[in-house]
Amino acid sequence: MEPVLAKLLAASLITPFLTFWILVLWGPKIGKPRAGWVGLIGGMGVPLALSAVVFVTWFFTSPEQRAELTAAAQHSQVLWAQLGRFDVTFGVKLDSLTVAMHFMVCFIAFWIFFFSIGYMSGHADCVHHQSKYWRFFAYLALFAFSMLGLVISPSLLFLFIFWELVGLCSYLLIGFYFETDYAPPAAMKAFITNRVGDFGFIIGLGIVFTFLGTLDLEGAAAAFKTQLATSTGLFAPQVTVPIFGWTFSGMTLATLMGVGLFCGAMGKSAQFPLHVWLPDAMAGPTPVSALIHAATMVAAGVYLVARVFRLLTPDAQMFIAVIGCITLTFMALIAIVQTDIKKCLAYSTLSQLGYMIFGMGVGAWTAALFHLITHAFFKAMLFLGSGQVIEGCHHVQDMRRMGGLRTKMPVTCWTFFVGVLAIAGFGIPGVHLGHWKFGLGGFFSKDEILAVAYDRAYNWGRFGAPSEGHAEAGANGEARPANKEKHADGGTRSAESAAGGRGVRLAAFSSGSSEEVQHSAAGTPAQKAAGSEKDAHGAEGGEHHASEKDGVASGIQALPKWMFWFAILTAYVTPFYMFRAWWLTFMGHPRDHHVHEHAHESKMMTTPLVVLAVGTLVSSYFLFRPMLSHAAEAAADAPLVVAVDGEAHEPAAALLSLDHTPERDPHKKLVGLVGFAFLIGFAVSWAIYRNGLDVASRIKAIPPFNLLHTLLERKYYFDELYDFLWVRGCRAVAAVCAFIDTWVIDLVYNLLSGVTERIAAFSGRVLDAQGVDGFVNGISETANDLAEVLRKPQTGGIRKYVLWSVGLATAAIAALIVVMRVNGG
Amino acid sequence: MLTIGLTHYLIVSAVLFCAGVFTMATKRNAIGILIGVELVLNSANVNLVAFDRYRAGLMDGQIAALFVIVLAAAEAALAVAICMNFYKNLVTVDVDQGDVLRG
Repeated sequence: MEPVLAKLLAASLITPFLTFWILVLWGPKIGKPRAGWVGLIGGMGVPLALSAVVFVTWFFTSPEQRAELTAAAQHSQVLWAQLGRFDVTFGVKLDSLTVAMHFMVCFIAFWIFFFSIGYMSGHADCVHHQSKYWRFFAYLALFAFSMLGLVISPSLLFLFIFWELVGLCSYLLIGFYFETDYAPPAAMKAFITNRVGDFGFIIGLGIVFTFLGTLDLEGAAAAFKTQLATSTGLFAPQVTVPIFGWTFSGMTLATLMGVGLFCGAMGKSAQFPLHVWLPDAMAGPTPVSALIHAATMVAAGVYLVARVFRLLTPDAQMFIAVIGCITLTFMALIAIVQTDIKKCLAYSTLSQLGYMIFGMGVGAWTAALFHLITHAFFKAMLFLGSGQVIEGCHHVQDMRRMGGLRTKMPVTCWTFFVGVLAIAGFGIPGVHLGHWKFGLGGFFSKDEILAVAYDRAYNWGRFGAPSEGHAEAGANGEARPANKEKHADGGTRSAESAAGGRGVRLAAFSSGSSEEVQHSAAGTPAQKAAGSEKDAHGAEGGEHHASEKDGVASGIQALPKWMFWFAILTAYVTPFYMFRAWWLTFMGHPRDHHVHEHAHESKMMTTPLVVLAVGTLVSSYFLFRPMLSHAAEAAADAPLVVAVDGEAHEPAAALLSLDHTPERDPHKKLVGLVGFAFLIGFAVSWAIYRNGLDVASRIKAIPPFNLLHTLLERKYYFDELYDFLWVRGCRAVAAVCAFIDTWVIDLVYNLLSGVTERIAAFSGRVLDAQGVDGFVNGISETANDLAEVLRKPQTGGIRKYVLWSVGLATAAIAALIVVMRVNGG
Repeated sequence: MLTIGLTHYLIVSAVLFCAGVFTMATKRNAIGILIGVELVLNSANVNLVAFDRYRAGLMDGQIAALFVIVLAAAEAALAVAICMNFYKNLVTVDVDQGDVLRG
């Protein structure tokens, strides 16, 4: 039983890979509709079947058995390569997170593949009289392979490999309409922006490899924990590493590692400074936007953060939270002014990804992943809905030309509305249907993230200082006397002082971004005391218990309040712009009769919409939430993680949990703050867009709003800024290089080549032609002339020869006789 | 009283030699040339025997003459074979026609 699940997950990679090659090699022969079906069955059908088996089995497996299975999968990795003493192993990461993500990816991708067959068949896709229909499905199959590989990777190395593969697929699919003038730059932009993030990722990987000694996720996390507890390796005070002229050490280096790894996620999940590629990526076909740029690949960044969560220091998490907060707020504001239906959804995706990253940053691990999954469902559905609209309206994407489409495409209209409700956080707070609370997936997932954010912003003071929350945590500590006893070494018996010691240490390291602080602190007695404290912790083997968690918490600054309020603001903005998009597209009166008359919807495309709508309504909370609660065990020993409700069972007991004292319960506070945000957002939106665009355009003309509108419409001038800084900068550098090339390097080369040419001419014309050739020719000519002379007597007449020889012999003898006479006398 | 001495033999030999050379130089028929060659060889034989008889006296000349006779026989066999081939190729035994190898 135990290897089977892992093997099934691994087997799910095989058919997409084969399908890719089949389509690449024989795609044109397979033909237009059939290539799509091949892609659907091979690329996603088989993996979905395998994944469903795994998911259902896992769902009904007890937590103890799950832990065994996880360990078994971890230990049955295959040696892939050996580099010196470093073993590269490949295997399958089998835990609740993988299973949930795998099933989510397979399920959504299957229906998007299905949708694609309908969507792509309606497209004229010939370039130079060759259909590239098959190519689309080949890319999708490759993407399926890479994404599933990414999800099951147990090591950062393979995570990185598949990470780059999904990036490649994204590039290929954004640039699918390469014959247009807008798709290739968009594809390049996506690719290059991702390279920037991946550069940070590589640095992070380098630090992980150097200091943690392994790229395996489990091994790295274990090494990190031990080193943090014992102040060795990465955290040894004497370790310093210069990177780009800055020197990093200890906690700062660990923070840099976390930030580096997060940079990868920043690129892939399009977070704030690197967000510019995602809206442009809408140049790709709409199913691609749904699959890659809304549901799965962009969420891979969040998945990566979830996977490396145990390697993040509190400072790194604060960085992540800030980035997430900026992204979620400012991108949501841009979405208000977008008129292109896909662009609007793209900014919404950016904002929601910001939510997830923000959740990760504040420590709401489970909540962020839960939001990832609910978001994947409803955003895929929203994108497919927009694809149906675009297809039905013959490639009109401008919402200003739509309106009134509900009569022409009712299924799309109402499934889209389900998506709008889900993303707006529709739910009725406090209402329970028996055991189940009433609301859509987005309601719960956002509520959980905001609850943790509230707790970190307003209730954080309870840690480190005696309070009710602390007493509760202390009770947890009492429940584990064994730990207490171990902890008793070195006279640090009380939990308070332990917390204090750890707090000093974390504070020292957190402020260690400037080296002076770090080094001056190193010699003080306080630090020495903290050092002995650390040894005491090391003796425990880094095992967590509540008091230690409290100590960590007291050393971490609370969340700045503005971040919480930004998130709250977004909770009001999101329903506004989503309702606006829905209303402008489907409701009201048709604004362009030409578009309206030709609008239609097709069965092939509405089926996935309905399936995903049902998924949005029921599956996410019932199926995925319990599994993710269980998955939280994987993150339980992270430096900073906050448990949301429902995760307080035994292995996760060490998590910091929310403060549930009545006057400070975050959920109760949130009911008042954002419980009815969706209603307010909908209402304002309805009031403005009820009768089309007139009210909006009048608002636009009022002085403060017109400037704001321009600012938002130009996306805070980020494209211009990047164009100025990077594109122009690059070109300026290139121009300088070209100048140097032309006037320095070419000059030298031309000079050298001129001299060489002269030398060659001399050597060729004079030395070779006259000297060497003259000598050789001279010999042959001499031989020739001699032969001419010598051939004269060779007449061929035998009688002449006889005469000659006799005559000459006679003459010779006569001469001999004469000579003898003269000499001899 | 005329004594037959070495000189006489040498005169005979010279006459033979000249006759042979004359034959070789004038005959166009290959067989004729062959006969001329035989005359030249035999003049040499006469010389050898004569010198041996009058000067050396150790039978060297006779033996050398026997060698020459044997060689002449062999040479004649070869030469006749050449003549046959000559005829086969040119359908004549006129040596003036056989100037294919002229320079």
